[in-house]
Amino acid sequence: MPKYGMTIDLDRCTGCRACMVACKIENNTSQTAFWMYVFRLEEGTFPDAKVSFLPRPCQHCDNAACVKVCPVGARYKRDDGIVATDWDRCIGCRYCEVACPYGVNYFNYKDPKKGQYMDWKDPDIQVATAGVVPGWSNPDLDNKFGSENRSIAGSNHIKGVMEKCTFCVQRVEKDMSPACVDTCPTHAIQFGDLDDPNSAPSIAAREKSGFKLLEDRNTQPRVTYLGSTFSPGAREIERPSVRE
Amino acid sequence: MMVLKVTRRDVLKVGAAAGALTAASSLFVGRMSTIRAVGAPKPDLQLTPVEEWVPTTCWIGKQDCGMLARKIDGRVVKFEGHPANPRNQGTLCPKGQGQIAALYDPNRVKTPLVRTNAKGVQGKFRSASWDEALGIVADRMNEVRKRDPRLLIWQKGRSKAKAFYDTAFVNASGATKLHHGAFCSDAGYRALEYTVGTHAVMNPDFKHTNYLISWGWNITNAGGNKTCWLTWNQQLGEAKKRGIKVTHIDPRQRPAGPHADEWVPIRPGTDLALALALCNLVIKSGTIDEPYLKEFTNSAYLVKEDGTYLRKGEGDEAKEQVWDQASIGPMDFGKYGNDPALTGEYTVDGEKVKPAYQMFKEHVAQYTAEWAADKCGVDVKQILQIAKDLADNANIGATHIVDGVEIPYRPVAIMTYHISQTELGFQQVRAQTMLMMLMGAMGAVGGTMSDFTWKIHKNFEGLDNISITDEPNIYLKNSKFYPINSNNSSVVAQVMTDPDPKANYGVDYTPEVCIIHMANPMTSFLSQKDIYDGYMKFKFVAVIDPWMSHTADLFADVVLPAATLEKYEGPISATDQYIGAQTLRVPPMDPLFESRGDIQIYLDLCEKAGILTGEGGYLDEINKKLKIDDANKIPIDRKPSGERELFDRWAKSEGYEKGVEFFETESVNITGPVSPTKRYGYVTEPPFGGAIHRLYGESLMGYQKQMKALGVEKIYYQDYTAFPTWRDLTMNSSPSEYDMNLISYHMIEFKQSRTSMISVLAELAPKQRADINPAKAKEMGFADGDEVIVESHNAVTGETRRITVPLHFTEALRPDTLAIPHHYGEIARHPNSTGQGDTPNALFFTGKGYTANTADQSFHVKVRLLKA
Amino acid sequence: MATVNEIPVLPYGVGRITRGWLGAAALLVVLLVVGVFAYSRQFIHGEEVTGLFDVGTRGGAPWGLYVVFVVYFVGVSTGLMLIGIIAELLKIGHMRSITRIAEGLAIISLILGALSVIVDLGQPLRGIIGFFQYARPMSPFFGTFTLVVSGALFASVIYLFLTLRPDAAILAKRKSGLATFYKWWASGYKDTPAERARRERSSIWLAFGILPLRILAYSTLGFVFGLQVGRPGWQSALQAPGFIILAVVSGAALLILVAAAARRIPGARDDLSIPTFSWLSNVMTILLMVYLYFLLAELLTSGYTSTQVGWRVTSSLLTGQFAVLNWISIGMLVLATGMGGWQMVRRNYSLSMMVAAGGLVTISAILQRYLIVVPSLTTGALLPYEEGSYTPTLIEYGVVLGLVALGTLMFLAFLKVVPILAIQKESD
Ligand SMILES: Nc1nc2c(c(=O)[nH]1)N[C@H]1C(S)=C(S)[C@@H](COP(=O)(O)OP(=O)(O)OC[C@H]3O[C@@H](n4cnc5c(=O)[nH]c(N)nc54)[C@H](O)[C@@H]3O)O[C@H]1N2
Ligand SMILES: Nc1nc2c(c(=O)[nH]1)N[C@H]1C(S)=C(S)[C@@H](COP(=O)(O)OP(=O)(O)OC[C@H]3O[C@@H](n4cnc5c(=O)[nH]c(N)nc54)[C@H](O)[C@@H]3O)O[C@H]1N2
Ligand code: SF4
Ligand code: SF4
Ligand code: SF4
Ligand code: SF4
Ligand code: SF4
Ligand SMILES: [Mo]
Repeated sequence: MPKYGMTIDLDRCTGCRACMVACKIENNTSQTAFWMYVFRLEEGTFPDAKVSFLPRPCQHCDNAACVKVCPVGARYKRDDGIVATDWDRCIGCRYCEVACPYGVNYFNYKDPKKGQYMDWKDPDIQVATAGVVPGWSNPDLDNKFGSENRSIAGSNHIKGVMEKCTFCVQRVEKDMSPACVDTCPTHAIQFGDLDDPNSAPSIAAREKSGFKLLEDRNTQPRVTYLGSTFSPGAREIERPSVRE
Repeated sequence: MMVLKVTRRDVLKVGAAAGALTAASSLFVGRMSTIRAVGAPKPDLQLTPVEEWVPTTCWIGKQDCGMLARKIDGRVVKFEGHPANPRNQGTLCPKGQGQIAALYDPNRVKTPLVRTNAKGVQGKFRSASWDEALGIVADRMNEVRKRDPRLLIWQKGRSKAKAFYDTAFVNASGATKLHHGAFCSDAGYRALEYTVGTHAVMNPDFKHTNYLISWGWNITNAGGNKTCWLTWNQQLGEAKKRGIKVTHIDPRQRPAGPHADEWVPIRPGTDLALALALCNLVIKSGTIDEPYLKEFTNSAYLVKEDGTYLRKGEGDEAKEQVWDQASIGPMDFGKYGNDPALTGEYTVDGEKVKPAYQMFKEHVAQYTAEWAADKCGVDVKQILQIAKDLADNANIGATHIVDGVEIPYRPVAIMTYHISQTELGFQQVRAQTMLMMLMGAMGAVGGTMSDFTWKIHKNFEGLDNISITDEPNIYLKNSKFYPINSNNSSVVAQVMTDPDPKANYGVDYTPEVCIIHMANPMTSFLSQKDIYDGYMKFKFVAVIDPWMSHTADLFADVVLPAATLEKYEGPISATDQYIGAQTLRVPPMDPLFESRGDIQIYLDLCEKAGILTGEGGYLDEINKKLKIDDANKIPIDRKPSGERELFDRWAKSEGYEKGVEFFETESVNITGPVSPTKRYGYVTEPPFGGAIHRLYGESLMGYQKQMKALGVEKIYYQDYTAFPTWRDLTMNSSPSEYDMNLISYHMIEFKQSRTSMISVLAELAPKQRADINPAKAKEMGFADGDEVIVESHNAVTGETRRITVPLHFTEALRPDTLAIPHHYGEIARHPNSTGQGDTPNALFFTGKGYTANTADQSFHVKVRLLKA
Repeated sequence: MATVNEIPVLPYGVGRITRGWLGAAALLVVLLVVGVFAYSRQFIHGEEVTGLFDVGTRGGAPWGLYVVFVVYFVGVSTGLMLIGIIAELLKIGHMRSITRIAEGLAIISLILGALSVIVDLGQPLRGIIGFFQYARPMSPFFGTFTLVVSGALFASVIYLFLTLRPDAAILAKRKSGLATFYKWWASGYKDTPAERARRERSSIWLAFGILPLRILAYSTLGFVFGLQVGRPGWQSALQAPGFIILAVVSGAALLILVAAAARRIPGARDDLSIPTFSWLSNVMTILLMVYLYFLLAELLTSGYTSTQVGWRVTSSLLTGQFAVLNWISIGMLVLATGMGGWQMVRRNYSLSMMVAAGGLVTISAILQRYLIVVPSLTTGALLPYEEGSYTPTLIEYGVVLGLVALGTLMFLAFLKVVPILAIQKESD
């Protein structure tokens, strides 16, 4: 059983947010849901201002606060370390979200198909989209995954359930890297088996010292940040659209 | 587990070898044939979806990154970076990822449209058939062509497939081409063409550079020289791993962010002052590559007191003289064995002469570090530090062996591009180039590159030998106003709207028909008001665009819906500056709605207009431009079956046995590493293509003399000086209450004006904003997010302009500077761009004081803030 | 209205539908319909129609009014149960009269608490099944849902059932439409001394059992908040004890209000006398003081020791977006404490003053819950997300109103089947 994990090299990240868009398209998340989010941060005052970037996927914690609180086991940790959300079982209590220190959970406050950016009912567009919403809708997401055979991939399923980064389980189970990892222009994000010393994140982690986000919360994340440290006093600039 | 990431790297390692592509595509494509995962419902109930991977390229950005379109049952569901394309190595930027939303945008123009209301206001259109719409355009085109071909304008923006558009259509139709260059970085192009002969601006030899000046380079957001963004960022990442030092010179820190070791927050528009001071400091520190200056530049040319070279011989035979230190006397430049003096003062035939370098040294002596610190509003220590870093890293005299070739090694470089578009842009980039020349870093290993290979552009000669005309064309080519001319559409607009263009500009005609292709002048070009007035003058405007651009909405009589990336387009270079590669845009699906590929539109339009076939026709021009061999020549007597046929013939002529199918299956042809003898100027045959680099600009000075004689105002000729020379900026004579400098910039989320309506990108940056330093804003009583009126002032005409925009606080910005991104204000009545806010181009001015001496547009103006 | 000299078959208006009762019930039904309508919007469109939104980039609060009322209702229920049981165990004579009201209210508010949980769920139908099918004891929610909702509700109903049996036995003998019902309830209970002793014993044992169960259960609700590493402002050892204290306080407050209203029931006035109220008022006042002390302690610790983020939550309460609510709420609590204390000291109790204090405390207790739930969500992000905001929508108010109407309606119905005060007076 692989032990999946991720490294994010803050020295390489340019804050471009390609990972955010790749995640959206791959996982069909709806408007304003950013399973991957990249903070653009600033601290200090002119001329000693300092700009920095911090990509934030789900940390797939080994001691996951979200898993512990889920009353029905919809949020669970797979053997390979992926923290999954079974959208077929989730009752929508949003407890995982409240418990997670990282703010990575996104709830379907409405039918996710209603937040898919465009008017997909347009008859001319349906010629190309065959009526699916969104037009780029990824059919892999409807599959079931793992030996547990559970519905844990992607977004855009039903209202009233919780969602978050899945480590792109639908890709990982096909031996592909997650969408954010593949698209990252500067190769700042690496994903793979942490037990394999030759995996990309193992190599990256050997080359540089790293830290975990909010280590003091003892959530034991599977995401390791490399290079520069993150300063909690930083102020966010350039926020995307957060409410529709 | 084998993760694709690793695969991608492996692929790149063997990238140069033949067969890599097949390997890559089979790894990528072959692996994914099963998409049903463990435990999916009974297979008999479920039809296995058909999965395909179609290679194509990004259509948004200017470097056309390779992509693979994942298709399920014929529907594109995702774009992935093409792993074998050296430019992007399997990755994509946010726009590359987001363009799938553009593809499926139901708000694209779906059918040809014909205007039904007056121009200049929000448009009303009716749908028309292609036949009707093309017929209207062809008739109007032909009508004016018959009268006077100069009445037909072809306006383009950042275009692709130049052979098909810029060359073939323009030649076949006889139209006057207007383009975007004067809004992009043409001042820099002109400066490099004139100074060293290459057709591009400046970038580092990233593999080897140790010290990089990111000079107005928007590192984390925009392209810099030549490519779009992505390639440079990948190379910067690798260079940082090697330990490169980066100094970022920019009023904003945001572009470099954590990727700069030093930030020099320069006052907008003063870069020339800094460059000159650095030249001075570098000379003082003795970080000078004398052999290079002597052999490959005009530094040793002896200059007479009247500013012209000392020459021997007459006419074409005349030879520039240098002072030979061995024979102690003048001698023809370049004569075998001479050792010319760079410094000193000599007398030849009673005439006092000095080597150009000596003159330069004296010229820049006035530009001290303290002086520049004052002009640029930066700490003098930072300037001295840059000079020190240059001296520490220049390695004068060192060489480096690349692929067996020994080449001078000067690992100091500049990246600069769009900031060449300032009032002093041409001379500023010349000064930056000269700074690198002093150290012998142009075209050296680790030094400053320009184009991907070291090629000499015809403008190297051309710009030195301009014959100024009194009766220029509509963009004032070779005129006494702009002898060196970057073809600025805003200047065209001013000429067109001038009450007496004949008397004032020597232009005695007004163009009537304009075909706009891949451009949105109303949003992208400045100044918006002039552009508006100019376009009102056209009697007929046709726009080829996938969307209802702001320009089309206001002015189009006919809109022809172009496809987005669902079309054939190219050929496209895929080089990353080290590996040569070629690719083609291949449609992952048929054009949506009734749109057509641009090339198809030209085929159809030319057919209608009767300029498709025959000699000098559209097809003939394509044959010529693409150098298609006889065996594959496009028959010029019939309409080809479509774009694909054209590319098939081209591909076969280029030696692709499978023709266009090669690109449809394998996508990228990697031709191997770029040979050092093509890349580095020192080792091309002959070195630097035989060009003698111009430290001294004799012809520039000459143009000034002629301009004065022809009686143009000082504002036009003042920057035609042999050496870049500082002067105060025109905009600084605006009243002092206009106390802020407005600058603009590109954002990573958007590409110019063509993406702000793309839903998944608009979501990332939903609204226009004006960046401001919080302390400065608070001083004026404004809070973060406050809507304010920004008012600009034209120092020459006194005109003021306003927009309203919310403030965005950032400490990483000079307090005297306001920064508003380009990109917003584009697609008319598109649900995503409605309400985003205005383009800063509504504030900028053009013409006197706001264009460089090369007709290049400046992106600077003085503004003040008012309560909204 | 029944005339004074007509002796009703059943006491305290049980079994008799008066016009006033009908009017009140009709009004409540209307409100209930409003609530049901509001909820139907939410059921159909999802919680988009509420003011709830995600923490983090979306800058909202995923828990809001519904959770506030979960905590309030369950708290009141716990408080009432505790008061009733303690009164029973301590054999405080004049309290005997009021335990029935307390028990009835406790059950009703527990039901409302459970319903509040359901209306808060994104998948309510799944929720009802899922809680049982997949219940995970590791989740503090297990405490809330499984212990509180099922366990406590079950136990409370049994308890009420048992304590009511003697009365049922008496009423079953009278001729009324409800006689069969009472017979079933009495289920063979004859009120013999032996039986009486046995019943007494078992309900005492049951009371002993329920007491820790309820304390535990309600504490877990405190832990729902208090155990969260991700939410500064919640993570506190005082969270659970604070919850219990506030529960009893709000229970007492509600009991004062309802009991005061119940004095209008024919025949109840005499039994619901001032000593009953003053005992409640004293309990409320003393515990309020403890609660205020907790609040102060909380504030000091979070002010002194807290991280930057913790301080952000605290300052949002002191000076930020919640300051107005917070100070109003604290002001009300202080005022109520003052009123209670003053009466206690002077040993002179005024019913109207006690009712006023009860009202203040009830409102403030709801606000207190709001100030626990929301600020930590909107301002307690550990990563540099911008401060969020939460404004309940009309839908949420409508649903809560519907729940309150439902509860009141249930209480009115309760009045019509169960004598509000024990008939079978025990010898004190
Ligand atoms: N204030 C300010 N203004 C600027 C800049 C700045 O930094 N600040 N940058 C300047 C620069 S560097 C440049 S290069 C210019 C660019 O200016 P433009 O070239 O005009 O801008 P684009 O947004 O690239 O393209 C404009 C139009 O092309 C259309 N289009 C997109 N794809 C296609 C296609 O495949 N076919 C056809 N037919 N049309 C297509 C788009 O819908 C859009 O309407 O802008 C300049 N303007
Ligand atoms: N994401 C994205 N990438 C792009 C594009 C895009 O639109 N979006 N456009 C492409 C095109 S067409 C081009 S031309 C390139 C442009 O690539 P760049 O030249 O890197 O682009 P700009 O964003 O215009 O960068 C200008 C920078 O100069 C700074 N600046 C402004 N005034 C001054 C000044 O007086 N002095 C100095 N030193 N700095 C100054 C600005 O703050 C800004 O950071 O990008 C290409 N790549
Ligand atoms: S794609 Fe890579 S470089 Fe861009 S923001 Fe994400 S992690 Fe950073
Ligand atoms: S980051 Fe949050 S949601 Fe993800 S595993 Fe950790 S606690 Fe759970
Ligand atoms: S919202 Fe769903 S996944 Fe999260 S805790 Fe509740 S049931 Fe579990
Ligand atoms: S791993 Fe997949 S789901 Fe997670 S952030 Fe990256 S793209 Fe999104
Ligand atoms: S860098 Fe430019 S060409 Fe490449 S994906 Fe981005 S927009 Fe497209
Ligand atoms: Mo450009």
